Amino acid sequence: MIKKISMKKKSEKNIISNGGPVIKMVNVTKSFGELVVLRNINVEIKKGEVLVVLGPSGSGKSTLIRCINRLEKIDEGKILLDGKDIYSPDMDVHKLRTRVGMVFQQFNLFPHMKVIDNIMLSPIKVKNIPKDKAKEEAMELLKKVGLEDKFNSFPHELSGGQQQRVAIARALAMNPEVMLFDEVTSALDPELVKGVLETMKELATMGMTMVVVTHEMGFAKEVADRVIFMDEGIIIEENEPKELFENPQNPRTQAFISKIL
Amino acid sequence: MAGQGFQIDLFIKILPELLRGAAITVQLTAFSVAIGTLIGLFAGMARISHYKIFNLPSAFYVEVIRGTPLLVQIMIVYYGLPALGFNLDQYTSGILALSINSGAYIAEIFKAGIKSIKKGQTEASISLGLNYMQTMRYVILPQATRNILPALGNEFIALLKDSSLVSVIAISELLRRGMIVYSRTYDAWTPLLGVALIYLCITIPLSRAVQFIEKRWEIHD
Repeated sequence: MIKKISMKKKSEKNIISNGGPVIKMVNVTKSFGELVVLRNINVEIKKGEVLVVLGPSGSGKSTLIRCINRLEKIDEGKILLDGKDIYSPDMDVHKLRTRVGMVFQQFNLFPHMKVIDNIMLSPIKVKNIPKDKAKEEAMELLKKVGLEDKFNSFPHELSGGQQQRVAIARALAMNPEVMLFDEVTSALDPELVKGVLETMKELATMGMTMVVVTHEMGFAKEVADRVIFMDEGIIIEENEPKELFENPQNPRTQAFISKIL
Repeated sequence: MAGQGFQIDLFIKILPELLRGAAITVQLTAFSVAIGTLIGLFAGMARISHYKIFNLPSAFYVEVIRGTPLLVQIMIVYYGLPALGFNLDQYTSGILALSINSGAYIAEIFKAGIKSIKKGQTEASISLGLNYMQTMRYVILPQATRNILPALGNEFIALLKDSSLVSVIAISELLRRGMIVYSRTYDAWTPLLGVALIYLCITIPLSRAVQFIEKRWEIHD
């Protein structure tokens, strides 16, 4: 019995160490018309890693993560999910998106659906999970984000923070391999930010691979495994959070960090 | 009795006949709006499509219908189609013409309704793996429909009034019945005022209902 357990652990670890990066961006370039928003981006995200993307507004950080689930189309380069090109012909874009969860700044809950239906929609319609099973799983997710008593509410009856936690639960309902967070606390009143960050922290400790665009330095310091700093579509600097915050190398990073800390 | 103004006793006598016409008017309108809504839904979706094979025909349809008189459309359907080998009775021709006509206006309503839904809704939906049709069906259209209900209600009212035009192809709707009474009694006032009165009795409650819906949904957003 003991042997079995230890073997299982070992094999789990093997997956983590042997597998290549979950996401790999190779020379990714993207423009909106004349404006180049991403220039030659190279990033790797390992399984279970929390990567925080920092940078002034307009630096391309949101575009960067929106490329990962093909909300934006890249012009050049490659993005690999688990070693597979997300633009390869046998990669179904809808399937790709069920593997990459996304949470938005404006929550984007469906206002005409109750909380529980928001969460169940995709499991039922995309994954064809039976309704009662989907409901069970949705309730469990709501419990995880601390909102099981709100399952029957409509989004407009919740605070912004609660809505954002529902949005996180909704993205998790697809069992994604990666979660993308696009400035998810920027639209929240200050007192509501904490609850959302707590939920994200919990997710990180459970081993979720996360790419987080945020201005929350506290979160970056505490939760991130790695931070990249972007400006004008280029990755200027990349390091562990402690190093990047305390000892930034590039003058642009220094200027940015001295402004926000 | 001609030329004596509105006569209550004649009005009461012809009221059942006019009401039978009103029933047909309402029926014609209801069928036409129902079919027109279906046409409008797809034409509206086609109109905002990025694909030219969808949006060009739809734009053409809307422009042609909105740019020509309904009366001409009715006559083309009723007198023109038989020349092509389609023989439709008056009633079917009437519904067909009214449906095609209202479909063009409703397409514009749907187009505006779909465009009124924030882009984030579509992004959230497709990010969850839903495809375009699923996103339309479960996320966008339920919200858009709610927003356009007042406009659809107004279209219903407009079409109800415009349906009087099918009297020219001898459908016994409200106006036609009034005209028949006129030619029988040589009294124009009573039947025609009666007809107008009955139209009002239908349109006023309807427009109140539209206002009610408008107000109710205003609060909830």
